[in-house]
Amino acid sequence: MGLVRKIVTWARIKSPWIIHFNTGACNACDIEIVAALTPRYDLERFGIQLKGTPRHADVLVCSGPVTKQITPRLKRIYEQMPEPKFVVAVGTCSCSGGVFQGCYNVESGIDEVLPVSAYIPGCPASPKAIIDGVTKLLMSLEDKEGSRIQGPGSGKK
Amino acid sequence: MIAAFFNLLIFPGFLFLAIFGLAAEYIDRIIYARLQNRMGPPWFQPLADLIKLIAKEDVIPCEANPRMFKMMPILALTAAVTASFYIPLWGERALFSFNGDLVVVLYLLTIPTLTFFLGGWYSTSLFSKIGAMRAITQLFAYEVPLFICILAPALLANTWSLSEMAAFYAAHPFYWTFNLIGFGVALIAMLGKLEKVPFDIPEAETEIVAGTFTEYSGKLLGFFKLAIDVEAVVGASLLAAVFLPFGYGIGSYLGFVIYVAKVLFIICLLALSRTIFARLRIDQMMEFCWKYVAPLAFVQLVIDLALKGVLIR
Repeated sequence: MGLVRKIVTWARIKSPWIIHFNTGACNACDIEIVAALTPRYDLERFGIQLKGTPRHADVLVCSGPVTKQITPRLKRIYEQMPEPKFVVAVGTCSCSGGVFQGCYNVESGIDEVLPVSAYIPGCPASPKAIIDGVTKLLMSLEDKEGSRIQGPGSGKK
Repeated sequence: MIAAFFNLLIFPGFLFLAIFGLAAEYIDRIIYARLQNRMGPPWFQPLADLIKLIAKEDVIPCEANPRMFKMMPILALTAAVTASFYIPLWGERALFSFNGDLVVVLYLLTIPTLTFFLGGWYSTSLFSKIGAMRAITQLFAYEVPLFICILAPALLANTWSLSEMAAFYAAHPFYWTFNLIGFGVALIAMLGKLEKVPFDIPEAETEIVAGTFTEYSGKLLGFFKLAIDVEAVVGASLLAAVFLPFGYGIGSYLGFVIYVAKVLFIICLLALSRTIFARLRIDQMMEFCWKYVAPLAFVQLVIDLALKGVLIR
């Protein structure tokens, strides 16, 4: 049983498929995320692929402070993803709300709505920072090897 | 009994085809990456993707018909594996053969496309329904040229059995060069069958999310991916057996190497076309296939008929 778990953990670390969702960003972080997926930075080296549908994805990459309007949609996208799943917040706005913190129409950060596994600050976060953040998230999965890896979704806020 | 199970499950059945299919997917992806001037995925990438998908949760939409939804990926995989038993891989003889197995193989290779249609249709999502309709529309465009251009060499060999065709072309060494037009047509049709760029219209991710596979996740998606990989290898083996019938009867080890080289050559051609072309619209695809590809297949048919009159009395 231990061997099977090890193989599954290895496969999960080597093949994270992402889905990108704009939760009200100014588009700067989205451009940087798309730039990180181009041949110049070649995220396929790590097995990362951009998928169109939440059903195929393991990692939800969000950018921007969560606006009130997009909150139910964000939750719905998250619930459509099969377990185990992770959320990555890209950019200062999605980490803490950034300059929009306390605004009447935003939730101030992804972690107000969903459990977040990795925060990547920056305004906008550069592709190198995004790659660094994602590889650190994958490394943290390796550390947890032995205990059954689950998305932090069970203890949802 | 044990030999039959060995043939079915291990060699040249499921396990061999799965490993070969994953290797072919890796080669496809690495060529694609190198032509785009990037590193590309590591060698174990398709295997890691498959294991991860099998270990993931299966989500079945409550609107979907669960039985059909679950059955389709397995049916696709089964059909693709079964088709390989009638194709002479190396050596002139296939595992099983009877007169007419060529048609059976062609129909077995059509079943995966049909399962994409049914799977997409029964997931009841809008995107998958559009993808399913496109898959079945595309089927009508490439299937007729494929059938014509694969039956033309059979006409020259005067048999409808793949094994006897291989024996005929082995006995007449350079006859396969007459079928090169058909080889080109079959490559184009194979691109449509495998839903690769420029014919990846049913799963165009920039238009309709993931097409037929939009609602599939976890194990079921993994089976579909594996079925596509196996179908690629079996389809390439079919093209190799029909259009590149040489290198038989030189020992099984060398024959195996030549077989793998032939299949990888075809996979490389498919990867190359994936890199250099952009996706067509469905109407452009229909027009291209019926206006240019189907007539070329007919030219191949006429060439083979004429040759049959000249060469074989």
